[in-house]
Amino acid sequence: MATVTQDTGRELRRIVRTNEEIKRVVATAFKINLMAMNAIFLAKRAGQTALGFGVLSNELRRFAMDLQKQMSQLREMTYGSVNTVTALVKQARLNRVLERARKESSGSGRSLIDEFMRTRHNLVFARHREQIAALNRRLSQMIADTAQLVELGSVLARSAKIEAAYGGAFSTSLMQVSSDFERTIGEIQRSLESLTKHQDATL
Amino acid sequence: MKTARVIYEDGKHKWIALVRDPNRPDYLIDSNEYLVIDDDDSLLLDPGGNEVFPAVFSALSTEFDPRKITKLFASHQDPDIISSLALWLEFNPQVKCYISWLWASFVPHFGGNKETFISIPDGGMDIMIGSQRLQAIPAHYLHSSGNFHLYDPKAKILFSGDVGAALLPPGEDDLFFEDFDRHIRHAEGFHRRWMGSDKAKRDWCQRVSQLDIEMMCPQHGAIYRGDQVRRFIDWFSHLEVGIVKG
Repeated sequence: MATVTQDTGRELRRIVRTNEEIKRVVATAFKINLMAMNAIFLAKRAGQTALGFGVLSNELRRFAMDLQKQMSQLREMTYGSVNTVTALVKQARLNRVLERARKESSGSGRSLIDEFMRTRHNLVFARHREQIAALNRRLSQMIADTAQLVELGSVLARSAKIEAAYGGAFSTSLMQVSSDFERTIGEIQRSLESLTKHQDATL
Repeated sequence: MKTARVIYEDGKHKWIALVRDPNRPDYLIDSNEYLVIDDDDSLLLDPGGNEVFPAVFSALSTEFDPRKITKLFASHQDPDIISSLALWLEFNPQVKCYISWLWASFVPHFGGNKETFISIPDGGMDIMIGSQRLQAIPAHYLHSSGNFHLYDPKAKILFSGDVGAALLPPGEDDLFFEDFDRHIRHAEGFHRRWMGSDKAKRDWCQRVSQLDIEMMCPQHGAIYRGDQVRRFIDWFSHLEVGIVKG
């Protein structure tokens, strides 16, 4: 029973860590959205000399919005995991007390608890474990999908950097904006890698 | 584990006190739980906190089948009274808990749902156990703002929750006592501090002095018998309450 409690605690800590990482990505995704808006205005000001950059900054803005949508789904999913793990923590706590009751009881009292705990373990813990495993699988899939999306963002940022070179008088500012994109998307990629690592450890 | 002591028995009507766990950690206040049985029906009074559940359950199962616990009575909302609710519900999800209407939406934080609670109105109510009619007696503000005691007219026992409670030192923790003056010293500080309303105290004294009581069973400390009950009511009616020392 101690293992169940330890596993549950570990699972809860893992979910808290994942949630924190997702929060970081969400904040960065929001930043990208603002950066894309800025890039669009800048491209408009640059006019003919930054047509290519303008197309890319529109794509980057679309990317930022898709990323935000993806992140909000991820957050909902981790909220679901927190609910399930919290229920498991509560059950594990009740189990600890029941285990003590079993030790203190004798005769029919003990047999009653034995029988009860067996049924309970099979029903409650198995169900919760199943739910957590399913959530973890969905979460991993979602992280993989997000990583793919971010990879696209990274390609867009690199292309924007190339287009910036053709920006004439605006070249320096455009270069600055596209470098910011590249750096920020890099941050997201690192967060996602770390999320993938947490997930891989659980599957 | 606690000891189950039969304190009243007349045919199929019985009161069992679940008391004194020698292994109780000293950071937990000691509590008495009582089981009223009539035929196959039963009512567990102030079932206790989560931490004492093992001791209560094991003691109870030496005298009664715990699966037959279908009714709980909570004098008020404190954790040492009813935080074990979720555990009793694990054994029998149909368990009903009688509690003041005031706490019916607070106590579900310990467990249970809408179906679990039977709200006791402020004026009290009768609770049937087997063929016996027990009475929930109002004891509001002693100490909780929604508080009930339970009177059994057949056994002439009043379960008095925190009223009459005493914090007994080691070596003086028998279930019954002989020397009232010596015992009441261990109850005085508790009552002065915990009982918040002088008016509520006087109302309660008036109410219970009309009952025929042979035993008064508090949730902490020792049981009052015979003349000790009258002496307690008299002592309590004169006690200045709602006081913080110093």
